[in-house]
Amino acid sequence: MIAELVIFIILGTVAVATGVAVILSKNPVHAVLFLVINFFSVAMFYLVLSAQFVAFLQILVYAGAIMVLFLFVVMLLNLTGAIESVQDKLPAQKWVGLALGIALLLEAGVVTAAGVFRQVPAAPPPSPNFGTSAPVGVKLFFDYLLPFEVTSVLLLIAIVGSIVLARRRTY
Amino acid sequence: MLPAHYYLMLSAVLFTTGTLGVLIRRNPIIMFMSIELMLNAANLAFITFSRYQRSLDGHIFVFIIMTVAAAEVAVGLGIIISIFRTRTDINIDDLNIMKG
Amino acid sequence: MLVQYLPFLVLFIVAVAFAGGAMVLSRLLGPKRPSATKLEPYESGMVPIGGTRGRFPIRFYLVALLFILFDIEIIFLYPWAVIFLEAGAARVFLFFEILVFLGVITVGYVYIWRKGALDWE
Repeated sequence: MIAELVIFIILGTVAVATGVAVILSKNPVHAVLFLVINFFSVAMFYLVLSAQFVAFLQILVYAGAIMVLFLFVVMLLNLTGAIESVQDKLPAQKWVGLALGIALLLEAGVVTAAGVFRQVPAAPPPSPNFGTSAPVGVKLFFDYLLPFEVTSVLLLIAIVGSIVLARRRTY
Repeated sequence: MLPAHYYLMLSAVLFTTGTLGVLIRRNPIIMFMSIELMLNAANLAFITFSRYQRSLDGHIFVFIIMTVAAAEVAVGLGIIISIFRTRTDINIDDLNIMKG
Repeated sequence: MLVQYLPFLVLFIVAVAFAGGAMVLSRLLGPKRPSATKLEPYESGMVPIGGTRGRFPIRFYLVALLFILFDIEIIFLYPWAVIFLEAGAARVFLFFEILVFLGVITVGYVYIWRKGALDWE
């Protein structure tokens, strides 16, 4: 209990701090690197919550592959300088957005404080292989057969779409 | 085992951070990264519920969400690149060409 | 349960401590006598031209992008490979299931091949 609380506080601080750093950093390269740390700490949370397979997927897919693509695009577009224009077209947007975001956070806090989530029962410890690749695979390939097959169509669409978008214009 | 609302509150904070990023920033790359932040927060909530219900369905959801995120990043970054390949300025408010 | 990941934590701490310690120690103990020649990116030979932040060709992006999509495909194969041997009678079902999945992705593979996205030039 105490150990988990300590882990939660450390990882949670890292996750929230890097998340805030992502949206505040001027340099997109820094934002990408902060986001990688954020994904790593979320992966650690998955481990704590005994989602072992998903934790490693998180590191492989998010921290490994997706963020590399982000870094590529930042480099490709040469976005490292001052990008956001000096004249803001909608200057009020920043403050309205901030107010709405704080309202959202307050809403979540009120819902939590009202004890809605307290009805989630404290679970007994799961079986040792809970969340490893074998049970997840059985669930995925038998119970979730249709979503799995539809995923392949989604990937096909992504492949075709990205090729169409990235192709050099020929007109 | 900590109570579930610890993790759910953290997920809410991360989600709010992502929302704020989309609302405040005008750099499309950072807005995109904020969307990834929101997806991750949702994933954390899924995993939390999965753990506290001792059911693996949440893991499958996260699996599918990751696939969707990868597809979304591939297509979305492709769109950003094809829009801004000829521009130097990348403020998203300037994207009003399609405005009628 | 988490205890089995303790070696990872130890490895992580050792790696961070080693890398950080090496950087801090070399900064503290190493002599620093910078000169104009030493501070160049390449101390001998080439004089660097232009900045390091130049745009690079879109081909690299295309390769990274296709890598991600096929990476996802491979990740779906991991749990499949884990459960396939122990599946028993369900093996035929699993086999055709993954065949459909791979078949749809192969359509995309053939598409990018025919479009020439895999050619470097």
